[in-house]
Formats: sequence, structure tokens, C-alpha cells
Amino acid sequence: MSLIQALATSLSGLNATQTSLAVVAGNVASAQTPGYVDRTAVQVATTTGDSESVRIASINRLLDQFVQQQLRTETSGGAYADLRAGFFQQLQQVYGQPGSDSRLDAVFNKFTTAVQALATSPSSTSAQGATINAAQALAQQLNSATASIQALRTRADQGIAGDVQQVNEALKQIATINEKLAGDNTNDGAAAALADQRDQAIDQLAKLMDIHVVPGSGNQVSVFTGSGTSLVTGNQAAQLAFTSSGNIAATQQWNAKPSKSTLGTVTLQFPDGSSTDLVANKAIRSGEIAAYLDMRDNVLVQAQSQIDEFAAQMSRALSDTTTPGSAAAVGPQSGFDVDIGGVLPGNSIHITYTDAGNVAHNLTIIRCDDPTALPLSNSVTPDPTDTVVGVNFTGGPASVVAQLTAALGATGLQFSNPAGTTLRVLNDVANTITVNNASTTTTATSLTAGGPALPLFLDGAAPFTGAITGAGPESTGFAGRITVNSALLANPTALVAYQPSTPIGDSTRPNFIYNQLVNASPLYSPATGIGGATAPFQGTLSAYLGAVVSAQGQAATTAQNLQSGQDIVVNALKTRFDETAGVNIDTELSHLLTLQNAYGANARVMTTVKQMLDTLLQL
Amino acid sequence: MAISGIGGNVSPLLQSVLTIDKQLQDLQRQLGTGQKSDTYSGLGSQSSVAVGLGAQLDATASYDNTISIVGTTIDLAQTVLSQVAKSGSALKSSAAQAPFDPDNSGVTTVQRTAQGALDTVLAELNTQGTNGYLFSGSGLNQQSVDTSSHILNGNGSQAGLIQVIAERRQADLGSGLGRLVISAPTPTSVAVSEDVAGSPFGFKLAGVSSSLTGATVTGPAGSPSSISVDLGPGNPNAGDSLTYKFSLPDGSSETLTLQATNSTTPGPGQFTIGATSVVTAANLNAAITTGVGQLAQTSLSAASAMAAGNDFFGNPPQRVAGPPFATATAQVAGTAANTVFWYTGQNGPQPARSTAVARIDPSIVVSYGLRANEQGVRAIVQNAAVLAATSYAASNPNAPASYIALNQRADIALAVPPGVQSIQNIEEDLASAKAAMSDATGRHRQTNLTLTNMLQQIEGVSNDQVAAQLLSLQTTLSASLSTTARLAQTSLLNYLAPVAG
Repeated sequence: MSLIQALATSLSGLNATQTSLAVVAGNVASAQTPGYVDRTAVQVATTTGDSESVRIASINRLLDQFVQQQLRTETSGGAYADLRAGFFQQLQQVYGQPGSDSRLDAVFNKFTTAVQALATSPSSTSAQGATINAAQALAQQLNSATASIQALRTRADQGIAGDVQQVNEALKQIATINEKLAGDNTNDGAAAALADQRDQAIDQLAKLMDIHVVPGSGNQVSVFTGSGTSLVTGNQAAQLAFTSSGNIAATQQWNAKPSKSTLGTVTLQFPDGSSTDLVANKAIRSGEIAAYLDMRDNVLVQAQSQIDEFAAQMSRALSDTTTPGSAAAVGPQSGFDVDIGGVLPGNSIHITYTDAGNVAHNLTIIRCDDPTALPLSNSVTPDPTDTVVGVNFTGGPASVVAQLTAALGATGLQFSNPAGTTLRVLNDVANTITVNNASTTTTATSLTAGGPALPLFLDGAAPFTGAITGAGPESTGFAGRITVNSALLANPTALVAYQPSTPIGDSTRPNFIYNQLVNASPLYSPATGIGGATAPFQGTLSAYLGAVVSAQGQAATTAQNLQSGQDIVVNALKTRFDETAGVNIDTELSHLLTLQNAYGANARVMTTVKQMLDTLLQL
Repeated sequence: MAISGIGGNVSPLLQSVLTIDKQLQDLQRQLGTGQKSDTYSGLGSQSSVAVGLGAQLDATASYDNTISIVGTTIDLAQTVLSQVAKSGSALKSSAAQAPFDPDNSGVTTVQRTAQGALDTVLAELNTQGTNGYLFSGSGLNQQSVDTSSHILNGNGSQAGLIQVIAERRQADLGSGLGRLVISAPTPTSVAVSEDVAGSPFGFKLAGVSSSLTGATVTGPAGSPSSISVDLGPGNPNAGDSLTYKFSLPDGSSETLTLQATNSTTPGPGQFTIGATSVVTAANLNAAITTGVGQLAQTSLSAASAMAAGNDFFGNPPQRVAGPPFATATAQVAGTAANTVFWYTGQNGPQPARSTAVARIDPSIVVSYGLRANEQGVRAIVQNAAVLAATSYAASNPNAPASYIALNQRADIALAVPPGVQSIQNIEEDLASAKAAMSDATGRHRQTNLTLTNMLQQIEGVSNDQVAAQLLSLQTTLSASLSTTARLAQTSLLNYLAPVAG
């Protein structure tokens, strides 16, 4: 043990203190740097022979990994809730501001008010004009509501595209850093900085989709989707692929079957070349992408179907007429004759009969000329009690009879075509079943079809009949295509004149329109989310609009509440995380004081050694 | 969303400050707009109630609008109806009293009054309301009635009332005996018969009564109907009488009484008892012929004019099947080609009232349609027109009697018999519609008030409440801000002494 030894020891102390000081300086300087994790220098004492010295063994990042994992999970949920709440708030704009004149229900009310005024003054050209204008305003409101909803879907679609790009960059970055850190077991400042960067990439990823991070040996991490599919292993990163669809139309919808889907899906491409559909497998459950997908494929599709249903029911309430069949009897058999000459695709024939067990049955026979759409499901009508049979009419009455016999022969009902376009439905010869009623529902295609019903609204330029094709029901996106019949624009007196000889003061047709708008109480499709499948919503158009606005309002409120709750959780976790990982200036300054003292002490030792050496030399 | 500090450090205080700031902004918006929320989601569970209330309020407003439009129309119609009724009653009192005072063109004071009344009434009936002609049923764009000139004088090939009256007069009078045939089947008897069975024209035999001693009276019987009086072998006594009763085309009746007298110069309504019953029968025959001829010129002429009026103002108008008219035995419906149709509005099977209906309440409908050819209105137009259409030659000895007969009939016809619609009935219909509307208006006012209050409770805000909330938030915000500031200052940095040097 010599003085020189002491000098060397205090020199190592000075060095270690300087390094620690650098770490403190780094902490203070980076206190506000995003993703920076508080560092601490770990000093160890070393002994060589009987000489003691000190050195910095490693620079450690101070973080609570459990809280970090928790925070990432909740960050996904927070981003999901944020985005949904934002979309729901924007969707609220479609229904307008309460109390304003432009809200959807107010525009509808204005239309009924105008019709009521027309019923009072059928001959007044200004009342006719006001009715047409109000109808146009309503059609335009529905058009623009559709445009708004589809614009939101387009935004969601583009959002997915942007997010997928960010996901891919983050995945690549994680893999790259994994590679850089691989095999390097030193924990120096550079490694800590890389780890910071990787954590930031993972945090970014957690915002976009739900992930699960598993730390491995040798500074490696593996990243999985919430459902367990691997995204990053070592230096291998999978990549997401998504094709944005540009401007989305109401008829474009995602489907699990790629052949039926008209919208892009998110696929995961593995480094080995294989791929999997993350949307079809429901592998993305949280984060921004899940929120975008939910909006694009569920929430906004349903919002669209709600206003489509409104437009369809309103249009059909004005244009459809139900004609009862006439009683028919052949020998011991009895039943009804209905004229199917005016039945258009989407129009229907209703038959009620009682079977041998005295159980009443409802039959709805729908004209459906697209063979790819057949057979029809019972759910194409909102009525939960009816059996639906789709029939292709293109082969003429004989073919209709053949198809009905094939589909319904087992019930005992007998169909025939006695003449022309007459369809006859009879019970069995033994009279064990009873045909109670038969009627047809047809759509008026001309303004002077004879009755007060009229095609006031059109689907583009064609009458809206609710036809069902392989591509789906005509009602999909109808709210975006609904227009006021151009023949009415050219000739507003047709609002009154339902026959060529109708006197100008005859209020039959305006009264019919008003009554249908205000009092008609149809069943609404449960696919709109209003009402259930077994007890569909039944009510006036105004009541249905109220139900829609209320349901959407509730959904928006729920989304907002979820968001607020999630915010609190995320904030609490962030605070907890930062308690450990954040730079505390007070702590750093107290470290600074300690280090300053240690440095001073080491220097003092050296001064003393120098003085002792001087003393020795002066001997 | 979660708020991060610049360095990603969460500042819970900063978060709460921002939340308060957002609440402040929302309260400011509430204060400015008076609306609780600018989206339906902000109304919470009551949003569907708000939609329903909005629809109800709009419906009530539209009903009130209807009531105001219909009210105006009904007011106008009531004015017209009271004017028409006034003309009708003025004409009635004039017809009841006026003396026979034809001017040199054969027009009397009553006729001038009738012409004036006709012009006024027709002009009134063509009144237009906001939506069109008031008295045209649902044919609001069709003028309700034709002009008095067309109605009286015809229009080109279309016959007017004057021509229809003239034709009917020929048909009713026939050869001058009102389509009766007076014959002597035996030397001692006189038979009075209708010329053709079932003909609507001329006198119809309604009955006979006799106090002629020894005479046999039969009938009215047979086809065509006939009354026969056989004096028998002996003569009746002086003072015995025979009375025929005739029905006239307008539904009135007349009697012709003939009294036996010994005077060789019998007065009107008398016949001379001759040497034998054969001579007496001849005298009786001559007296009947004179009496019937005179009745035909006076009462029958007037009744014929009244009946022609009824024919002309019917729908369709009835014309005498002819020419020749004097021997006509049936009527035919006039066509638009040959007859003026006085009512030019809409006709149809439904009652006039239901040609204009308005919904003034979810469950109440008022009917206020009017047609000029409703019985109450038509009676006034028809009688005024008939009075205006006849003229009298001062030289005609029967003119005064005919004139009085017509005036009496018009006077009776203008007094509406019970069971027939009068113009007052129409006014009552409109008045009850107005009463229903006035009740509905009151109800709507009440409903409106209630609904508006409810809607205000859902959609609106109380300014006091918002102001109080604003104040309390302001306090919280300034407390939060000063706490944040103080916390930010409590850093060791501020308490370390500067390094000496």
C-alpha cells in the first residue's frame, strides 16, 4: 500500500464521479424528451491485489415493466375509445342540431306540414310548389346525410391505410433495434438510448393496435398481436398490407368472403411469405385500427341502413297499394284469385292460411328476378311471423305457379294460373287447410295509375320497389339516391290529379299522402339496430326517426363515457409509470450535490497525497 | 384524450385545467344559444322525446295554418251566402205585394227586381277565395255559374231559360185547353179527359164533385184518365154545381166550379139550364171549355213557367221532346250542345260539403265545400230567373191573372218548406265548422304551450343555472391554475444556493 496506490484509487473515484455526473447531466437535459427513461449509473468497487478502486459497471434504465405493459394495453383501449368518440360526435352532425331548422326530423316535419297545407288548398299552385320544394329538401337532406356518412367511412378507410403504414414502420424499427442490440450484453448509454427508441416504437404500435410484448434474453423483445399472432421475433418483422378503396359508396361493404367483399381488408404478411386476414380472424381488437374498422364496417353501415330504411319506408308508404284478392272456388276447394300483372321485383303477394292443426301461417311471396339472390331468407321482411318465398317472374305465370308449387306444395296449398296474369291459390280437396286471405302489394309507377298512391320519390330515375338482387336489397344506399319524381317537378298538379278527370280542388291524393306520412305504421327492419328480430320496431315515420336519433345519441354518449373512463385509466397509469421512469429534477439535483461532494473528497485525497509526497521529497 | 406534457410526462393538474376549460366553453355556448346541446347525444335519453315533441309542435302549427286559411274561405262564403239570402228575401217580399205595372216592353217592377236579384246573386256566387271559386265544389278553377244573359237568353245554339219556358208553355197548353179533351160521348153527357196517358204536360185530373140533381158522375178513371158527367134525362136545378179539381205541372192545384143557372146570359162559371138535358149538356160543355181555356192562360201558364224553371235548373236540364212541342208527351235531358247549363262548377255523387275538407286536429276534419246548385242556393236563383224570364203584353186580358198566379207561386217557392235544404242550413253548416275550428285553435294554444315548455325543459337551459355553474367553474379554474403555478415553483432548483464562484 503506497501513496501512489492511494492516488490511483482517488483518480478512479474522480473518473467514476465524472461519469455519474454525465448521467445526471443527461437526465436533466433529457427531462422533457419524449420516451426518455430516467437512468442511473451503477458504481462497483474493484480490488486488484490490495489496491481498491471504483468503476461504473453499467448505466441502468429505471422503469417498472409491469406498469409499462399495463400502460400499453390501456393505451390501445384509450386510442380505440378516443377515435370512436370522435367519429360518433361527427356522426351526430348528420342528425342536425336540436331546435335547428336543418335537423333531419324538422325537414321531414316541414314536408308533412306542406302536404297538410296542400290538402287544405289542393288547387293552390303555391301549395303544390311548396310541397315539391319540401319533398326536394327532404330528399337532399337524406342525400347529404348519406354523403356525410360515406365520407366518414372513407375517412376511416384512409385512417386504416395511414395506420397500417405507421404499424409497418414501427415493426421494422423494433426489428432493426432488436438486431442492433443482439449479442451485445453491455448496458451502456448507447444501449439505453436504443432501448428508449424501441420502447417508443412499441408505444406507438400499442396506440394503433392491441399488442402483447414479451421481453427476451439479450436485450431482445418479441411483439405479438393481442390474439397471439407474432409480429416481431428477433430481427424479423411481419408487415401489414391494406388497400384503401378511395371514395366509398354505401353499397360497398366488407365481407369475410373475399369474392363478396368490396372493401379492403388488413392482411398480415409474414417474413416467410405466408399471410393471414386479420379482419376476418378478428385479430385486431383494440387500438385505432380496430376503431376505424368498427366504424367503417359496423357503426356507419348501420347508421346508413337506418336512414336507408327511413327513405325506403317513406317512399313505399306513398307508392305501394295493397289490393285484396277475390274469393275463388273450384269444386270443394276454396281460396283466392290475385292479379300478379302489376307485381314488380320487390313487390309481394301475401297469403294467410290455417293448417290442419289450426295454426295460422303468413306467407310472403316476393318477386325476385335475380337467380343468384334466391332462395330468400325469412329475414328479408321485418315481419318475424312470415315465411318468405322468392319467385322469379321472368318465366311468366306458368313458371311462377311451378316455382310456388315446388316451394309450398308440402303445405297443401295449390297454385294455378286459370287465365291471363291471375294467380289462384286454393286449399286442398279435403279442406283440411283454409286459405284465409290473399292480397298483392304493388308499386305505382305512374302519377296517374288510378289510385291516390304515387311514385313521389324515385330511386334515381326508376320507381323504388325494394327489389332484391344478388348484390343486396335495393334499399342499401337508397337514401343517397332518393330524388323527387321529375315528372312531378314538370307537372306539380299531379300531386292532386290522380286521374285525368280529377277536379283541381279534389284533396283525395294530398290527404292520402298526409295520412301515409303521419299515420302509416310499418314494421322496420331489425338490421337497422332499431327493434329486435322477434319484435321489430313498429311505428310512424316520425316515431322511427325519433328512435334513430335517440339510438345514435345514446351510442355517442356511451362512446364519450367510455372515452372519459379510459382517459382516467391511461392518465393514472402514465402517472405511475412516470413516477419511476420520469426524470425527477429534485432527485437529480440531490445526486448532483452528492457527486459534487464525492468529487471534492476525491480531489482532497489527491491534494493530501500530493502534500504528503511533497513532505517526503523535502525530507 | 389523455394529455401529455411536453416531455411525455403526465400532468394530472394540467388535464383537469383543460377539462374545466372545455366545460367553460360549453357553458358559454349554452348561455349564448340557450340550447343545452348542439347534438342529440347531448340531450341524453330524452332525445327521442325531443324529436316527438318537435313533430307534434310542427303538426299543431300546420293545423293552425290550415284553420286560418279555411277560416278566411268560410268567412268569405258566409258573406256571400248572407248576401244571396238577402236578395232572396227582398225578392220574396216584392213578389208578394207588387201591383201589375208592365211598362211598354211588358216588364213589371217585380221582374226588374228579379232581374237585379239574379244579377247580384250570380255575381256573388262567382266569388273567388284564395284557392279558387267558392261555389264550384272541388272544381276550384271552374267558374261557378254562367252569366244571367246566357241563363235567360241562351248562348248561341244553347237554349236559355226563356226558350225552355216557351217550349214548356206550348207543351203544357197544347191547343189551348191544357192538353185536356172535352167531348160529348152521349147527347146528355160531357167528358173531360187527359189527351195522352203518362204525359207530364198540361192539366191532370185530380177529382170531381157534383151536386147536380140527377146527374151521374164517374171518374177520374181510365187511361188516359177521364171524368164523365151524364145529366141523365132530367135537368139539374138552378144553383146546383159541378167542381173539377186539376193538378198543375208545378204541383199546385186549381178548381173549376160551374153552377147551373136559369139565366140565359150566364156569368163566368155558370151554365144555362136548357129546355132538355141535351141542351143543358151542350151549355155545360161550352162553359167547361171556356173555364179550362181561361185557367190554361192564367194558372197553367204560371205553373208551366215554374215547372220549366225547375226543368232548366235541374241537372241535367230537362227539355220538352219536340218539336212539335204542343203535342209532345215526354221530356228529354238537355245536352251541353243544346242547353245552357247554369251551374258550371264540379258535380259529383259526394255531398257538396265534402268537396273541401280540412284536417284541423289529428282527429277532427271540417267539411266546407260549396256548390251553387245546392237546393238552398238554387231555389233563389231559379225563382229569380223565372220571374225575370216572363214578360206580359199589356193587351193580353189574361196577363194580370197570369202575373198574380206566377208571383204567388214564386212567393211560396221562396219560402222554403220544412225538410228541404234552405240557404240557412248551408250557413249553419259553415258556422258549425267555424265553431269546431275555434275550439281547436284554443286547444292548440294550450297544447302548444305545454309542448313548448316540455321541449324547453329538454333542449333549453336555465340562464340562472348556467350562470351559477359558470361562476363555480371559474372559481375552480383559478384555484387549479394557482395551485399548478405554485407546484411548478416548488423545485429544489429554486432553493439551491448559487454555486459560489
